Amino acid sequence: MSRKHAIQVQVNGEVHDALVAPRLLLADLLREELDLTGTHLGCEHGVCGACTVLVDGRPVRACLMFAVQADGCDIQTVEGLARDTELHPVQQAFNDNHGMQCGFCTPGFLISTVALLEANPEPTEDEVLDMLGGHLCRCTGYQNIVASVRQAAVDLRREGSQA
Amino acid sequence: MTAARPKYVGNAVKRREDARLLRGRGRFVADIKLPGMVYMALVRSPMAHARITGIDTSRALAQRGVLAAISYDDIRGEVEPLPLAERGEVLGDTDVPADHVTAQQSTAIGPIACIDLMPDSTAVLQTVLADGKVRYVGEPVVAVVATDPYLAEDALELVDVDYEPLEPVVDLLAAAGDGAPLLYDELGTNVFTTVRQEVGDVDAAFAAADRTYAETFRIHRYAPVPMETRGVVADADPVDRRVTLYSSTQFPHLARGFLASSLSIPESRIRVVAPDVGGGFGAKCEFYPEEVLAPLLSLRLGRPVKWIEDRREHMISSTHAREQIHEIEAAVDADGMVTAVRARSHTNNGAAASTLAITPTSIFSAMLRGPYRIPHYRVEAKAVFTNKTPLAVYRGAGHPQAAFCMERMMDIIARDLGVDRAEFRRRNMLTSAELPSDRGTEIVLAGKVVYDSGDYPRCLDMALELMDYEGFQREQEAARAQGRHLGLGICAYVEETAIGPYETATVRVDAAGKVTVITGSCPQGQGHVTAFSQLVADEFEIDLEDVTVLYGDTDVVADGVGTFASRSGAIGGAAARQAASKVRMKAMELAAHILEIDPGDLEWTDGGASVKGVPGRRLTLGELATRATAWNTDLPEGMSFNLDETHHHQAPGIAFGNATHIAVVEVDVRTGKVDILRYGVVHDCGTVINPLIVDGQVHGGVVQGLGGTMLEELVYDDEGQPLSTSFADYLLPTAAEVPHIVTQHLEIPTPLNPYGMKGAGEGGAVGSPGALVNAIDDALSPLGVRLTTDGPYSPSRVLELIDAARNGR
Repeated sequence: MSRKHAIQVQVNGEVHDALVAPRLLLADLLREELDLTGTHLGCEHGVCGACTVLVDGRPVRACLMFAVQADGCDIQTVEGLARDTELHPVQQAFNDNHGMQCGFCTPGFLISTVALLEANPEPTEDEVLDMLGGHLCRCTGYQNIVASVRQAAVDLRREGSQA
Repeated sequence: MTAARPKYVGNAVKRREDARLLRGRGRFVADIKLPGMVYMALVRSPMAHARITGIDTSRALAQRGVLAAISYDDIRGEVEPLPLAERGEVLGDTDVPADHVTAQQSTAIGPIACIDLMPDSTAVLQTVLADGKVRYVGEPVVAVVATDPYLAEDALELVDVDYEPLEPVVDLLAAAGDGAPLLYDELGTNVFTTVRQEVGDVDAAFAAADRTYAETFRIHRYAPVPMETRGVVADADPVDRRVTLYSSTQFPHLARGFLASSLSIPESRIRVVAPDVGGGFGAKCEFYPEEVLAPLLSLRLGRPVKWIEDRREHMISSTHAREQIHEIEAAVDADGMVTAVRARSHTNNGAAASTLAITPTSIFSAMLRGPYRIPHYRVEAKAVFTNKTPLAVYRGAGHPQAAFCMERMMDIIARDLGVDRAEFRRRNMLTSAELPSDRGTEIVLAGKVVYDSGDYPRCLDMALELMDYEGFQREQEAARAQGRHLGLGICAYVEETAIGPYETATVRVDAAGKVTVITGSCPQGQGHVTAFSQLVADEFEIDLEDVTVLYGDTDVVADGVGTFASRSGAIGGAAARQAASKVRMKAMELAAHILEIDPGDLEWTDGGASVKGVPGRRLTLGELATRATAWNTDLPEGMSFNLDETHHHQAPGIAFGNATHIAVVEVDVRTGKVDILRYGVVHDCGTVINPLIVDGQVHGGVVQGLGGTMLEELVYDDEGQPLSTSFADYLLPTAAEVPHIVTQHLEIPTPLNPYGMKGAGEGGAVGSPGALVNAIDDALSPLGVRLTTDGPYSPSRVLELIDAARNGR
């Protein structure tokens, strides 16, 4: 067994030191070592998108990245989205529009939506579908997810204009 | 007494279960971590059909961290074959004749139960690990346990299994024919069940027919594929022989019974917990080998054992669905009425009789006629073993196949007769005046098919109007004049929903007036918590937030059946509301006693009992609950302590939902690409508890049917090797491929449910294959294309069909 590597990651604002095997997936670091089980594994080959997290602000499949590659990175997971007692506007939009059923794929959709709307506050329909096309959901048929993203875009713009 | 004022039921109440999941605070099986936990991994068969000539686990066991490696020989004495009599009792099925049970036991060779056997079937049961022979790629052969999941997977490669290949049988009709290689030599055939339905005088109707039609329809193999794979955590105490099993199951109480039988441990010492479950759709409505292996290994090792299925395993070892071949004939009289249908059907059940192996065959055979009268009817449907992954239920079970075949047939006949297809359907549909209608057929485990309620022609007409059927015909003509190929497809169906035998609920009120609902139905994302809260909050006229719903843990929920067959809202919901109603009645009686007043002078308003006409003279639910405790002993004569009631809602019969789906597509005949332009559903699930949730169920179902029709296929090669084992090979629909779905509810309450509720969970998936294929067929009919398969209609396949039609093939 190859030796372990010392890494440091910042996750949802908290700094963690960890000793990890080279083959440990970032998803397993988050879930098994840091007990952040909101990042879900649906396929472990990078298609379903459930394990998407933000690494230095960019959406990444945590099942396709090794923990050692995240050394020194700033990571945001679904657990870091809510603002104290209040849901993040993207989370609230998914509740308002019934954009989730079983909730297993939802963390990935939330993270990618946050990333899209931060980079592009007024996405076109095609841009929204292009982003959503990188995620699989088996429950909702997507219609209410699309509606959720649309509402979140409006709400975040409104919030931005008030700030 | 005044009726509870409508407050939540019928309204689009936002889901109460979302907040936790949105914050990443769900608790799925994979999220469970227990002290000392170790990890199971499975060596699975790489061959479709082979004899095992040797298993050597010594190299694996020599690895650091590997704690166990077992084959069937190591556990043969420890797992019991499940007696079928007990299995019958699990679902309250007392119709299994005793001699039949004995005959079944003699052929039982393993412990995984098939509970939907027909009386004349020759069942064999799955063993939890292969016993001397493997019958499909993916079958568990050796279970390995290690201290770390990575090490457990490493160890799989160090297990040596020698196989002697046997001739595989993959093709469904070949497997059913004479001389096919046998999966189970002792049966002497691969056909293990034949389901028959016979209504009226079919032969006479065919003899008298004006025209007859014969078609063979092929349904391909696809699968539920929930986003959460399966998983188990078993935590057993080897001293007391107590077992806790966390499992991603749709039926924890049934799983408890199966596990008890299989390990010879009393049910009272087994706790099954279905925590958050990430979608089921039928894939988790099965009892699987891993649900026995993990507890068994936990008992042996004295440590919690966890197994989480990976996606490749899911694609080869979780149950597959749908694959059937149907030869269907129809007789039509001179008035354009379909007088008779007869069908010979085959279901490719794969390599084992899984828990609900027969249901798809049974439902197809009982429900093929859908909403149409068709007085004479005969089906002979065979369930057949092949060397593929076992097949069982998936959202709608046999209904999507039945609706696809019937609705294709209706289009084919209408076109031949030169009659408008909507008018042809309307003419043959049962009217509401003809209901209830005993169809003369029967569904295994569910009972007699007696259509109870609905207005099928009205549902059809609403859908035609919703989708502007008249306008479409002009649009289609205009498009054709421009060389564009638009098509519209109709699919009307009737669907068994809300099956019994029962569901249970306990409602209790604490001293603060807060209500706890304990339900035997457990969710996999459907929104049970919100729906049951709505029903109970309305009964008491209290806030939704004052209701807590507990489910999914057999130590908390003493009794229950589970979530399948579109039953939870209707049957579980009725149980919850009736339990609440009993509590409210008791509270009223107590209030009358305390206030020394005639119960008739009380009314229930806003969460309390009030004296009619005397404002402010009332006792709230919390006050009454406090007075009902053992510490306040002034109870009426004979009244038991506490506001706490349990109700078993027994369904008096199956409630049948119905719907009409209409799809509009455009096919690009140069590329073969099908665009779904519009999609509409008008459906009748009786009383709607929450339109937000019901619409969500319809959307999700439609898109699952769309996936199967347009994209998804579990492909096997001639050797029985599965070729679709990742999401790169097995394509699921994404947001970019789905149409906007328009829905309308036609609420015709069923008399079989105290609140009029029928089921809504599966219907979406029942209607979309038929609607989409009929639409594609309509678009391509000018080219001579005639569709008899349910897809998937990839661009290349569409082009092949167009080429074949052009070349007269």
